Amino acid sequence: MPQNDKALLARLSEHRVEFVIIGGVCGVLHGVPLVTFDLDVCCPFTPENLRRVESAVKDLHPYHRLTPDKLPLAFSNELLARLRNLYLQTDLGKLDCLSEVTGIGDYQAVLKCSVPHKTSHVEFNVLSLDALIIAKEAVGRERDLAAIKFLRAIKERIERS
Amino acid sequence: MLDEALIEQLNRGYVCPPDAGPAWRAACDYGFDMSLVEDALSQTPEERLDEHQRALDMLLMLNPNINTDAAE
Repeated sequence: MPQNDKALLARLSEHRVEFVIIGGVCGVLHGVPLVTFDLDVCCPFTPENLRRVESAVKDLHPYHRLTPDKLPLAFSNELLARLRNLYLQTDLGKLDCLSEVTGIGDYQAVLKCSVPHKTSHVEFNVLSLDALIIAKEAVGRERDLAAIKFLRAIKERIERS
Repeated sequence: MLDEALIEQLNRGYVCPPDAGPAWRAACDYGFDMSLVEDALSQTPEERLDEHQRALDMLLMLNPNINTDAAE
C-alpha cells in the first residue's frame, strides 16, 4: 500500500481540516533522517472537524485499520461524540488523527506549540522542535529515544548557527 | 602516486566535526550518520518531505510485504 504524505496533506488542507502535524513526519520536516510509514496529526475532535476529515478521504476507501474487521469509515452521531483517535488506512496511505499528544496535551495545547510550514501548494502547522522532543521524551519508546538523539542534535545545531 | 591522507579520508566516512556540540557528538557516538542530518538541514522542509517520500517508496518497492504497522 503506497504512502503519499504530501497528497494526504493536500487533501486535509483542501477540506479545511484543522490539524497539526506530529510524529515521524514532523521529525522529517525538522530534519530527522528516519523513515516513517504513516502521517500522524493532532486535531480537534469536534463533529465539524471530523466530518471534514471524512470528506477529505471519503473517496479513498478509508477504513479503521486497527479494527479486526477493518471497519469502513462511517460516522454516526454517537461515534462522533465518543471518538478520541482515528487510525485510518486510505488509498493514499495511513492517516492517524489523535485528539491529544502525550507530554503536550490536547489540540489547543498542541497548536500553541506549533510552527507554520509551507510547501509549494499547502500551508500547515507542525509541532515545534522543542515540543516534539518533549512529546517523544514523554512516550519514551526505543524508537523515540533514537529520534530524540537526532532532534537534540538538530536543536543544538540551529541554536549555534 | 595516491595520497595516503586522501585514501584515509575516502575510507573513514563521516567524522564528527571538532567543534560539534555535546548533542551532535552524542548522536555521532551512538553511530548515526550525521551527514544525513547535515544534508537535511541544507534542504527546505518540502525537500525533506520529498526525500522522505523517495526513501519510503524505495523501501516499499524493495519489500512490498513490510508490516508498516509493526514498523511504526
